[in-house]
Amino acid sequence: MKKLLALSLSVIMVLSMVGIAAADDGVVLKVVAWDVNTTTYYAAQKEAFEASHPGITIEYVDVASQDYGTKTSTMLAGDDTSDIFMIKEVTDILNWNKAGYAEPLNAYIERDGYDLSGFVGMESGYAFDGVQAGLPFRSDFWVLFYNKTLFDDAGVAYPTNDMTWEDYKDLAIKMTDASKGVYGCHYHTWLSAVVNWAVCDGVNTLVDGEYDDLAYFYNLYFDLAEAGACMPYPETQAAGLHYSGAFGNGNIAMLPMGYWYVSSLISNIQNGTYEVKDWGITAVPHKEGVPAGASFGNLTGAMINAKSANKDAAWTYVAWLCGPEGAKATASTGNRPAWVSEDVASVMSSVEGFPTDEASKAALLPSMVSIEIPGVDHASEIKTILNEEHSAIITGEIPVDEGILNMNDRVAEVLGK
Amino acid sequence: MIQQAPVSSCRRPGGKLRRRRTLVALSFIAPNFIGFALFTLIPVIVAVFMSMTEWSGGSLGNMKWIGLQNYEKLFAVPQRYIDRLENPNFFSILGLFFERVDIGIALKNTVTFTVITVPLTMVFSVALALALNKAVRGAVAFRAIIFFPYVSSTVAICVCWNFMMMKNGPINQLLMLFGSSFNKTWTADSNMAIWAVIIVSVWKSMGYYMVIYLAALQGIPRELYEAATVDGANKWQQFTHVTLPQLSPTTFFVSVMLVIGCFKIYDTVALMTGGGPGRATKMLVTYTIDEFNASKYGSACAIAMVLLVLVLTVTVLQFRMEKKFSAD
Repeated sequence: MKKLLALSLSVIMVLSMVGIAAADDGVVLKVVAWDVNTTTYYAAQKEAFEASHPGITIEYVDVASQDYGTKTSTMLAGDDTSDIFMIKEVTDILNWNKAGYAEPLNAYIERDGYDLSGFVGMESGYAFDGVQAGLPFRSDFWVLFYNKTLFDDAGVAYPTNDMTWEDYKDLAIKMTDASKGVYGCHYHTWLSAVVNWAVCDGVNTLVDGEYDDLAYFYNLYFDLAEAGACMPYPETQAAGLHYSGAFGNGNIAMLPMGYWYVSSLISNIQNGTYEVKDWGITAVPHKEGVPAGASFGNLTGAMINAKSANKDAAWTYVAWLCGPEGAKATASTGNRPAWVSEDVASVMSSVEGFPTDEASKAALLPSMVSIEIPGVDHASEIKTILNEEHSAIITGEIPVDEGILNMNDRVAEVLGK
Repeated sequence: MIQQAPVSSCRRPGGKLRRRRTLVALSFIAPNFIGFALFTLIPVIVAVFMSMTEWSGGSLGNMKWIGLQNYEKLFAVPQRYIDRLENPNFFSILGLFFERVDIGIALKNTVTFTVITVPLTMVFSVALALALNKAVRGAVAFRAIIFFPYVSSTVAICVCWNFMMMKNGPINQLLMLFGSSFNKTWTADSNMAIWAVIIVSVWKSMGYYMVIYLAALQGIPRELYEAATVDGANKWQQFTHVTLPQLSPTTFFVSVMLVIGCFKIYDTVALMTGGGPGRATKMLVTYTIDEFNASKYGSACAIAMVLLVLVLTVTVLQFRMEKKFSAD
């Protein structure tokens, strides 16, 4: 029954492609992606690639965003031969790699001497036991947004790209002005906004079952909350306050947030929705012993189907898409490519509405990016546990130490340790 | 074997006619039954089966039959906690179950929520129905106002209540007037979070049950009250000896509906507390969804089965009690 369904689905898929394939000479690469029509960079990538690679045509296969994981897994299980699958969740590629759907890229990388340095470590998010199952082309890693007007008014120097968390704490407290309702910083309610910084060292992860390193960041939050430098979590949570509105209101000096916020910030300032006028970004602060400019983030990438008939052409595309040239095409639409380079940063900072100062441009060049939550078995169970204990710790219902002990215990139980 | 009931007409209808009648009868049931079978019956049966498998989505070929292992895993108290006990015995381990194990916590929270919410809602809806049953000025308007929460959007209700129960919100300030020293956001406090959910649930559903009680009150024959008055019964005696017994079929219906509704609590919790802080308001359904989101479909179905058994047991008990009650 299942096979039949998968078979008929793929037959329909293939049939719908035949018409297109027959019309063109050369290779047609079928790229499975989500929300193709509403995501701006797909068209830009296709155009730029086809212009520089005559003989290879990109044809997108659109899959609804909310069903992407299920639908693509079904397609792959049904021996679909689409050449490239875009990777939405790290857990998707983890499962695809396990099931043997992903063409390992190691041999191609070695053959072409493909340079991975521009990924500043992000490629490891798609590497499982040494097998490079895919490559990232987009990464909204976290940066620090700040409101220049508030700093100017207070006569305080702007945040810099090399701040430590201690510097950040001092600066946030300095910028707080209760009489004007100004908060030095803002914590969004997510676990990642409070303690994910612990993974920036590239060694710790949120799935290793050891959470003692989170204590530093919980204590940082409590210090800031006690000093009145940030809104207390219970209030933000109960009010359902969104970070975008909070920063947009213009009374928050600093906000660590994912790069995705840039495009909505620019458009909301342009259409006059936000109070905040003048803003900048820097790298997120770092802990002592971790290099400045280290951050964390999530990835979007591409995988070559092991059943593709055009693997070489598919590699040509993936290598281009994820590398510096593809990154420029992605960046031209205001999105953050995974590839980090001066060229890419120039394209990104030339987007209208992006801050013009050098520090903001330099913040586009992170030294290292770790994965928010790596794709491993039990990742979502672990996430649930961490979120539960997080909500108890950050509301002050249990002491930090007890919460972290609970995290260690409960995750160890899941991992079978 | 039970023989087919004899047809009263002098001539037994022929096989053809009988078949036609059966078909006509079935065609009347079909629209409802097909919907019920497709969207309720079959999924329930599949869920029973799935609760004994291990499956994380993708190909159905990955589904593995594991018997009762999901249930064992759900109810197991981790050894590491038992080892930390100074004096491990049945009761201390049972305590650990309700304190440390997800399903134990979810059971405890769901039962606590139900045990408090059901009687509270019933008391409030009866009281409101009694108050608004009289032909007082504006009774109709009040009925509409009290019914209003039931037809409002749950999201809007929860957002408003969350604001009202914030640290410096109106409710805490009001309580402070009465000498309360509680100064925390309700939904961020382990002890008060469940009360926040209870208050909103009672407030939201009491209007609906008030309407049901109003209808029932109007169905009580006047003569009973007149007879009671003649016998010298005061208002309270009239209430306990006439009104309440006459309302008992309604009370039975209301209690069954409420208990089932309470066991299935999800939306209010998800919107107000998200199950937190910690696991203070984690309910059986919240837990099911967590497991579902973690792609542990077998385990999620097993929790749903626990809920099914719980609801079934309570409902059967209620039916038994009702029978005994009405026989008395």
